[in-house]
Parts: sequence; structure tokens; C-alpha cells
Amino acid sequence: MISSTALLTILGMAIVTYLTRLLGFLLLRNRILSPRTKSVLECAPGCVIISVIAPYYVSSQPEIVIAMLIATICALRLSMLPTLIISVISLGIIQKLFN
Amino acid sequence: MNIEYEMIQSNKSWQSEFLQGVKDATPLLLAVAPYGIVLGAQANQANVSLIEITLMTALNFAGGSEFAAIQLWHSPLPTLTIILITFLINSRHLIMGAAITPYIQHLPKRKIIPALFFMADEGWAVSYRQALKQASKKTPERNLNLSYFLGACFPFYPVWVGAAFLGYIIGPLLGDIEKYGFAIAFPAVFLVLLRGMWKSSQSAKPWIISLIVSSIGYLVFPGHYYVLAGTFSGLITAWIFGKEND
Repeated sequence: MISSTALLTILGMAIVTYLTRLLGFLLLRNRILSPRTKSVLECAPGCVIISVIAPYYVSSQPEIVIAMLIATICALRLSMLPTLIISVISLGIIQKLFN
Repeated sequence: MNIEYEMIQSNKSWQSEFLQGVKDATPLLLAVAPYGIVLGAQANQANVSLIEITLMTALNFAGGSEFAAIQLWHSPLPTLTIILITFLINSRHLIMGAAITPYIQHLPKRKIIPALFFMADEGWAVSYRQALKQASKKTPERNLNLSYFLGACFPFYPVWVGAAFLGYIIGPLLGDIEKYGFAIAFPAVFLVLLRGMWKSSQSAKPWIISLIVSSIGYLVFPGHYYVLAGTFSGLITAWIFGKEND
């Protein structure tokens, strides 16, 4: 079963999350954007992604940092699936070596 | 006759666009599933009930905030804190939505508003890359199909909810799932997507600033503020160095 407080918390989370998904679209729709705003929006997705994954480069676990560098080199040269496979296997091996 | 033929044709292309989206999203689906399992297993350990974690993943559908919520799932439940943190962590959706808007605003609002519910980091990144790819071919206003967007975004929903459910059930049997090397899957996939977003060296300065500020923020501040700090310092950099005129 579920308490009413837990249900309220989950519903609150759901509402604010959906709002974050809608607002960017609703606020900018039908606007003509200046070149400056366009250049900001163009690099924005990369800024978000880099900020989300940055902690892996400065992780307190050296094996994560090494695997991250391997993944970065792979990502520059290879497509999605080989990058994914090489990175995961590398980390698996490095973790075995470290422990 | 003709109308029927056209309907079959457009049905076909709807299907093939949807499937192309699913196909492009597949490597990320494989990367996301272990995270869902970890979330379910952690929820189990944190005394979150199965119905609570299932409702949370199904209604909220945003992984980062769900990891944060179950860390705070103590009695009495800090409802407002959890909701505020959820908003802060997911505020990156505002920027993601803004960035993709030029490519989806030709679509009818009644279709795009429900579709946006399924816009999570991964599906959005796949769609955004597709939009950029097509932008060089078609006119910029019409370059993202709703069917492609849904194909790239929707499959994460059953995978995420299902993986968390599965993780909750099998979590106690697995032990520490991170020992298998999957921890790197998530950033590795994002690195490939990032490379696809590289259009010109104009992005270099903001991206480097984001990387530096986010890394420092992660090391110095508790919680998830590093995401916002990194993102906004990159955006400010882009604003400063951005073109005033075409």
C-alpha cells in the first residue's frame, strides 16, 4: 500500500518534471530568435550533456577516470555501439585489475 | 483510390520513421536498462515500496531526480524538499526543450504537448542529433517528424519502468551491479552524442567552461547543483561570445 504523503510527493514530482519538459517549448514557440540567442541555443545541449557527465572525469575512483578517458578517445573515432562495448569491457577489466 | 493509397503511403513512412527512431535509440536503451535496475535495487534497500517506485518511475520518468528522491525517502517524508530537488535536477529539460523547439514547432500543439512527457535526456539527444542531420537537407522548420521523435523517446519509458521493477525484485540477489563495468555506459553514449552535436568551433569555449565549472562544482558543492552551474556558465559564455548579427 501507499501512504497519502508518499502519493502526494510522487504526484508533486511528476507535475514539476512535466512542467520542465513543457515550459522550454511553450515559452519559445512562435518567437523569432536573434542570432545571439540562436548561437546560445545551439551550444546549449552540449553544455547540458557535458555538465551531466563531468563528474566522471573527476571521480574519486581512478578506474572510472581511466575508463572515461578511453571512452572519450573511442567516442571521437568510433560509432555508438563499438564505443559502448569497448568502454564497458575496459572498465570491467580495469576494475578486476584494481581489486 | 488515390486517398487510400496516400494513407497507406503515409502510414508506411510513419512506421519507418518511428522504427528509425527506435533503432537510433537502441544503444542507449541498452545503456539505460542497468541504471533502472540499480534504481530499483537501491529503492528496495531504502525501504521504498514496490508500488511507490513503480508509480514514481511511471509518472515522473526522470532518472536523476528519482535517484535523489529515494536517497531522501525517510519518515517523515520531506515532501517539499523532494519536489524542489526534482525541479532543480530536471530544470535542464527547460534548456533541452528550448533547444529542440525550432525543430518541432511546426507540429500541432495537441500532439507535441503529450509527446513532450516522454522527452528524457537520451531520447531528446537522439532526436536533436537527427534534427541537426536533417536541417542540412530540408527547410529548418520541418525537419523533425513526430513519429521519429516518439520512436526515439517512447521506448525508454517501458524500459525504465520495467528495469526499476525488475531491479526491485532481483536487486537483493545481484549484489553490487556496478562491478560489471556498466557504470561507464551512460557517459560513453553521451560522449558519442556530443560528438554528433559538434557543428563548429563556436561551441568549444562554452563546452570547455561547462566542463570546468561542472567538475569543480561536483567536487565542491553537495548535491546536483553542479549540473546547473556547469550548464549556465556555458550558456553565459556562449552569450558573451555569440554573434550579435548574422
